[in-house]
Amino acid sequence: MRIVAVTACPTGIAHTYMAAEQLEKTAKKLGHDIKVETQGAMGIENELSPSDVDGADVAIIAADIALERPERFDRIRKVEVPVQLAIRNPEAVFARL
Amino acid sequence: MVSAYRFSCPLPSGMHARPASAIEHVARSFAAEVSLTNDRTGHTANAKSVLGIVGLDIRHGDPCSVEAFGPDAAQAIESLTLFIDHTLPHVDDLAPAPQTPLTDVSLPPVLRRANATVVPGTPVVPGIGIGRVFAIGGLSVPDSIPLSGVRGVEVEVGRVEVALERLLVGYDLRLDANDRRVETDLLRAHRSVARDPEFGEAIARAIREQGLTAAGAIADAEARFSEMLAATGSALLRERALDIRDVCRALLREVYGEELPPDDVLLTGDAICVAETLTPGQFLALDRQRLRGLVLAHGGTTSHTVILARSGGIPTLVGVAGLGAAALDGQEVVVDADLGAVVTNLTSDIRRYYDMERRRLDRRRGRVQRFIERPAATADGRPIEVAANVGSADDVAQAVASGADGIGLFRTEMLFLARPDAPSEEEQFQQYRRAVVDAGGRPVIVRTLDIGGDKPLPYLALPKEDNPFLGYRAVRIYPEYEGLFRAQVRALVRASAFGRLQLMIPMVARLDEVTWVRRVVAEEQSNLAAAGVAFDRRMPVGAMVEVPSAALTIEQLSQALDFFSIGTNDLLQYFAAVDRSHPRLAALADPLEPSFIRLLQRIVSDAHANRRWVGLCGEMAGHTRYLPLLIGLGLDEISLAAPDIPLMRALVADLSAAGCAALVERATHASTSRDVAQLLNGRDHWRALPLTEPDLVEVDADCRTKEEAIKAAVDLLYAAGRTDRPREVEEAVWQREATYSTGFGHGFAIPHCKTDAVGASSMSIVKLREGVDWKAIDGQPVRTLVLLVIREAEQTTTHMKVLAALARRLMHGEFRAQVEREQDPAARSARLKPRPTVGRPFRVAI
Repeated sequence: MRIVAVTACPTGIAHTYMAAEQLEKTAKKLGHDIKVETQGAMGIENELSPSDVDGADVAIIAADIALERPERFDRIRKVEVPVQLAIRNPEAVFARL
Repeated sequence: MVSAYRFSCPLPSGMHARPASAIEHVARSFAAEVSLTNDRTGHTANAKSVLGIVGLDIRHGDPCSVEAFGPDAAQAIESLTLFIDHTLPHVDDLAPAPQTPLTDVSLPPVLRRANATVVPGTPVVPGIGIGRVFAIGGLSVPDSIPLSGVRGVEVEVGRVEVALERLLVGYDLRLDANDRRVETDLLRAHRSVARDPEFGEAIARAIREQGLTAAGAIADAEARFSEMLAATGSALLRERALDIRDVCRALLREVYGEELPPDDVLLTGDAICVAETLTPGQFLALDRQRLRGLVLAHGGTTSHTVILARSGGIPTLVGVAGLGAAALDGQEVVVDADLGAVVTNLTSDIRRYYDMERRRLDRRRGRVQRFIERPAATADGRPIEVAANVGSADDVAQAVASGADGIGLFRTEMLFLARPDAPSEEEQFQQYRRAVVDAGGRPVIVRTLDIGGDKPLPYLALPKEDNPFLGYRAVRIYPEYEGLFRAQVRALVRASAFGRLQLMIPMVARLDEVTWVRRVVAEEQSNLAAAGVAFDRRMPVGAMVEVPSAALTIEQLSQALDFFSIGTNDLLQYFAAVDRSHPRLAALADPLEPSFIRLLQRIVSDAHANRRWVGLCGEMAGHTRYLPLLIGLGLDEISLAAPDIPLMRALVADLSAAGCAALVERATHASTSRDVAQLLNGRDHWRALPLTEPDLVEVDADCRTKEEAIKAAVDLLYAAGRTDRPREVEEAVWQREATYSTGFGHGFAIPHCKTDAVGASSMSIVKLREGVDWKAIDGQPVRTLVLLVIREAEQTTTHMKVLAALARRLMHGEFRAQVEREQDPAARSARLKPRPTVGRPFRVAI
C-alpha cells in the first residue's frame, strides 16, 4: 500500500517526531510505502505535495492539534488517530487501514 | 538676633521621621538655636531634635513656623527657608512603597503533593534554613532593679547623663574603628538617637517629675518614643523604633552594668529565631554560627536588623503573622525565603524535598568553586585577571583562598583612622609586608592615603569643607603633609622587597601631581638604597582614574605611570555631576549611560595604545550584570569584594570576548541607558552552549515520585548555571504534562517545555534508582527521563533538529538499551547527542 501521513503534537518538540518514526518503522516492517510529514516546532517538514497525496491509497492523520493546510486531504480516505496511539501501538494504527 | 519663617506643611503624610531628620540635618549645621512650632497646637520643639519634631504631630496643611536665635540665625533661616520651599515637598517622593504581605504561596509540585503546611511571609534575605524554633521575647528589666521610688533625684539624673555621655563616646569610637558599611549606618542611627536633645531631656524629666529611677525613666522614654513613632503610621518609622529600643538597652547597661542579665542568647543547635520584632542589638547577640533563619512578625526591608541579617546571609522572612511561635517552640521548621514561607510539620516527604534543595544549591556552589583554580578566561580564550579589593592586610589570605589573582585595591585608610596619631613607618611596613607575603607572589596594588574633609583625622588639621568630594583630599594634601606621605612611601618601598607590590595614587587629575609623587618615591628609594635597605627597584607606580580630567589625559600620564585602575564610583559622580548619596539624584548616576561607557572605552584604549595595563576596581566590577561590558572594554583586570570572585570567574568562562566587544561597540552608539540595559539582556555575548554536557546527567537518582524526578532533572539545569528560575521551568514542564503524559513507554519519559527561563536550550538526563509511576502510555514505571527545555526563540535552530532526531531514535529498542546500560555520565551524554538527521529512519550506531 502507498500511504501518506501527518504527525502533530501540542508542543511539537517530541511526540510529533516519535510518532513519525514509529509510523515509518512499522510501515517498512509491514512492507508498505510511506511518506510522513511532521508539523512540529520547526514548522512543516518533509511536506506532502498534491501528487504525493494523489498517488497514495490512504492518509494517516496522527494529530492532537488542528492541522496546517488540511484541505490537501479532502479527496483521500483518512484514518485519524491520537498521536499517542501511533507511538504506543503503531501496528494498531495500520490495522485500521 | 531672631529670625523666623512661616509655612504650611506640604507633606501628605505629615512631618514624620524622614522629613524631621532632614530638617534636623539642616538645623544642626548652625550654631543658632532653632525651634519649630506647630501653630495649630501651639507646641514648640527644638528643630535639632528628630524626636522633638516628630512629637509635634504636624499634619498635612498645618501652619508652622521656624525660628532661630543666635549669631548665625539669619543664615540658618535662609537655609531652612530654601530647604522648606524646595526640598521638603519632595522628601517623600522616593519613599519605598509599603510591602504588601504575601497572602498566598504557590507551592512547587513536590511540596504540593506532600500537602505541606506553610505560613507565608515576605522574603527580605534569600536562602533556605532549617532548624528548631527559638522564640525570642522583648527586652525586659529584671525585677531586682526598681523602676520608681528614687531617693536622690539629681544624683540619678547625673548617673544617666554620665552614662549617656559614655554611650556617645562609645558610638564615636566604634564608628571610627568600623569600616563595614552596614554596621556604620547602624551606629550612626543609634548615635543620632542618643544625642537627640529630646531623648536625654525626656529621661531627666521623668526622674525629676515622676520620681522614676534611671531604669524606670529609660523604660518610660522607650515606650513613649516607640509609641510616638508607631502612631505616625509609617512602616519606616516603626523600624526606627527598634533603634530606639537598642539605644535604651545600651543606656541601661551603661547605668547598671552587671546588674542586667547578659543580652547574649544561647542557641544550642541549628536555630530559627522567631520574634515579633528584633532589635539590631538583639540580632548581634545571637550566635550566628547556629542561626539558620529569622522569622519576624514586623520589621520591613530597611530596618537595621534586616540589613544586618542580609550582610550575614541569614534567610529572613518578615510580616509573618499567625505562626504561633509559642506552640512551635523547639520544633523543627524550614525558613524558605526563596519560596516566601515558613514550612512547619516536616514530614519525610518534605524533608526529602529540602534535601534535594540543599543538593541543588550545593551543586551550583560546587560548580562555581571549580573556577577558583582555573585562570579566568572567556570561552574564546581571552584572559582577564579577577582580583580582590581589601581594607587591611588581614583580608589578603581570605581573598587568595577565594581565587583572587591578586589584590587590585588595598585601601590604606583603615590604618590611619580611629587613632590619635599617625601610624609609624614601621607599623605600616609590617602591614604591607604581610599583605604581599600572604598574596604569595600575586600582585598587590596599594593605594596611598585617600583622605580629606569627609574623613577627618585628629592629627591632620584639615579644614571642614562644604563639599569635601570636590575638595582638599588624597594626592592634593600630600605636599602639605609631606612627612606623613614620605613615611608611607618608605614603608611601601621597603615592603616591595617581599613580593609584588605596586603603588597607586588616588584622585589624580593632572600630570604635575604624578611627577611630584614619582620624585618623592625616587628620593626615598635612593635614601633607602644608600642605607643598604633592599627593595624592588622596578616597583610599578600607577594611578586611580577617577577624575574626568585624568581620564582624558591617559597619554600624558603614561609618561610617568606604569598602570591605571579605574575607580568608577567617583569617576561617575564627577562625570555625571551627581552626588550619589542624594536620594533624588542617585538614579542619575547610572554606569550604563552611553556617555560613561564611551569614557571608559576611551580610557582603556588610550592606556593600551600607550602599552599600559588598566584595571577597574570600582563598584561596577562587583556586579555580575556589568561583566559583559567590562570584558568587552578589554580591561586587563577587574577587582571586587572577595566573596564574589568565584561566581565572577565562572561567569567569565561563559562569555564570548568577541560578543562582548560587539556589545560595547553597540552600547557606545546607544541613545539611552535603557537601550544599553536592553543590549545587556541579549544572548549574543554569551558563549553558545551545547545542548547537553556531563553535568546535565545524573545516574542512580533517588526519586520516589514523578514530582521528585522532574525536580531532579530541572535542578541539574540550575546547578549547571543554565537557569536561575528553576521553579518557572518546573511549572512549564508540568503544564505540558497536563496535556498527556510524556511517558512514552519502555520505562522512558521525555518531559519537555518551551520557556525563556533557561539561558540556552538544554537537555538533562536522569536515570532513576527505582522506577516511578508516570501514567505512561504503556502503564509501566519510568526509569529514565530525558528533559528537553527549548527557548522560545530557538525553535527552528539546530538544537531543535537535534532534539527531533533524538525523539526518533528513542523509538528504537536497541538505542534505549544502550542508554540504559551506560552508567558513566560523560558517555551517556555523548550517546544521547544524536546526529541531526531528520525525516528518515537511520541506523542506531554511535
